[in-house]
Amino acid sequence: MASIQLDGLSFRYPGAEEYTLAPLSLNVPDGTAFALLGASGAGKTTLLNLLSGLLAPTSGRIFFGDDDVSYVAGRQRNVAQVFQFPVLYESLSVAENLAFPLRARKFDPLWIDERVRHIAADLAITEQLPFVAADLSLFQKQLVAIGRALVRPDVSVVLLDEPLTAVEPRMKWRLRQTLRRVQEELAVTMIYVTHDQTEALTFADQVAVMADGGLLQVGTPEQIYATPSCEFVGYFIGSPGMNFVDIERLESSLEVSVGASRVGFRPEWALLKPQGQGQLAGTVESIQLAGTDSGAATGVVRLDTAAGRVAVRGKLNVAVGDHVGIELRQHLCFSAQGDLVTAEYD
Amino acid sequence: MLQLSQTQLVPDAEAFEHPFRAGTLTVVLGRNRSGKTNLCRHIAGLACSAAGEVSLDGRVMSGLRPQSRSVAVVFQAFVNYPNWTVAENIASPMLAQGVKRKDRDIRTRQLAEVLGLEELMQRLPNELSGGQQQRLAIARAMAQRAQVLVLDEPLVNLDYKLRETLVLELRSLLQQSGTSVIYTSTDPKDAFALGDEVLLLDEHTKLQSGKPLDVYRDPQSYAAADLMSDPGVNPFITKASLVAAARKAAVRPEHVYLASAPPPGEVNEFQMDVWGLETSGDETFIHGSVEDNPWVVRCSGMAHVVPGQRLPILVRNDDIMRFGVV
Repeated sequence: MASIQLDGLSFRYPGAEEYTLAPLSLNVPDGTAFALLGASGAGKTTLLNLLSGLLAPTSGRIFFGDDDVSYVAGRQRNVAQVFQFPVLYESLSVAENLAFPLRARKFDPLWIDERVRHIAADLAITEQLPFVAADLSLFQKQLVAIGRALVRPDVSVVLLDEPLTAVEPRMKWRLRQTLRRVQEELAVTMIYVTHDQTEALTFADQVAVMADGGLLQVGTPEQIYATPSCEFVGYFIGSPGMNFVDIERLESSLEVSVGASRVGFRPEWALLKPQGQGQLAGTVESIQLAGTDSGAATGVVRLDTAAGRVAVRGKLNVAVGDHVGIELRQHLCFSAQGDLVTAEYD
Repeated sequence: MLQLSQTQLVPDAEAFEHPFRAGTLTVVLGRNRSGKTNLCRHIAGLACSAAGEVSLDGRVMSGLRPQSRSVAVVFQAFVNYPNWTVAENIASPMLAQGVKRKDRDIRTRQLAEVLGLEELMQRLPNELSGGQQQRLAIARAMAQRAQVLVLDEPLVNLDYKLRETLVLELRSLLQQSGTSVIYTSTDPKDAFALGDEVLLLDEHTKLQSGKPLDVYRDPQSYAAADLMSDPGVNPFITKASLVAAARKAAVRPEHVYLASAPPPGEVNEFQMDVWGLETSGDETFIHGSVEDNPWVVRCSGMAHVVPGQRLPILVRNDDIMRFGVV
């Protein structure tokens, strides 16, 4: 396994004016569970293709450990990949599928056998070893595909491209949990590409948020959620996303930092108050139930304010058309360009 | 009102009755293969295995061909005419109905405006994003001016940010239209976000119906509670006194509290062996086992819990749902 370092890496299709991937630098320490999070068109797949060697960079360098692999052929990079849908030899048994990458590299047969059993035990698919891949459920097949990516001892990095797309929702967390456990046990460097915030925040030690071919923020899940580096990250993570209002539109003053022109607050950072209280005055536009807490209905209230629409999460003790105050218990400051300018405070 | 009588979605399923009130939006909530699509096809008059009488405002529709029913349908795999522009697509049902050109144009513009397609009138469907294509299919269905609009999992293929905004838009749009809407989904969140009413479908038959919050607060069976819960409910099968005379009891994942943040009222403590976590930032699902049952705790924010840990958790007496009390 190896650390991965990207140094001013970029990609532009020949003749194209704009970068598909704008120059970016990134360091993924050895043995990290790393997630690339972004909507479609953000540049995630381009970055993945650069790592696996399917595309050659327009500029910049890629290091696996100390080796510059920027222009090394894909097959010599020792990259293992897991795709959206399991790619297996359907007519071979699970054991044969797992052994295939090792046999192709002429490892000792006895050692192969031992390695396959070890990986199967890690993934809890020992019982399936004798079965033909075609007879497995989609969930089990994807486990085998992951096993095949992990079985080689000489892999530098495992790339996973939306690996849970085909897995049914109620099973997803199990597969993710297994993946995470194995990642820790084998101390593998894994790069996990997804458009789903839950996948990224749950799987990774470090999350990189991408949009429009650029890297917006790299941080722990907590950092990404609690202190987004810019308005886009705040909006993209969380459902509903973070609210943003112009400071000059606030009804009463709020502690803000120098250079701030907007404040951002998560729906759960605000409280509804009687009219005349709080930093914002709003009219209730809609109420979306989510359930109950200690018997009282809870959910999301959307309000129209002088500073635009905002969403507040909490108890639903208001009705559509009510005039209320909104108190910000916690907020972040952003510049006119939408960049974070201060740390949070209570 | 759209009335279903003696409806059997598949030959051996239990028959049921259901009135869809005029002008309301009913979310039909059921798992995959619970009969949702069959129900939609039955109402629309398309070939399916369902039997029973469908009547609209007292007029029996059974036997009427789909085009003679005042029912418009949008399926999950929506279709638009690929070689017609957005404007032509929206106008197409009115063309078939022989609506005058002037009225057609006015109505097309109105629909495009409410569905946010007015800037895209001259584009072809393949030049639109997934969300725009889906809105186009809905606009076309609404152009029929049918009394009943059936939407079969219309947002299932879209990513979550888009769903979030479309659900909000759809709600106000459909409320304004005055049409009776039947909207199928597997996600209880949709029932809360959109539904005036919810109809729970399980094993091809009706489990329960009513206002979403009423069904959530007072499920009449374990299956109904489980269906109106994401993730599913946590079962009690111990002989604990909590279950009392009930045959089965359960608690919703969002009604399990961490002992570190106790709720008001009388509580019971349990120990959970944590298996794993999922977090979206605003909330965290903690998966684990309690007295050998798989449980999920749904709490807000990011919980600092690790797999393998023993976690003390609390359940309020008032939140325990008991079923089949003798």
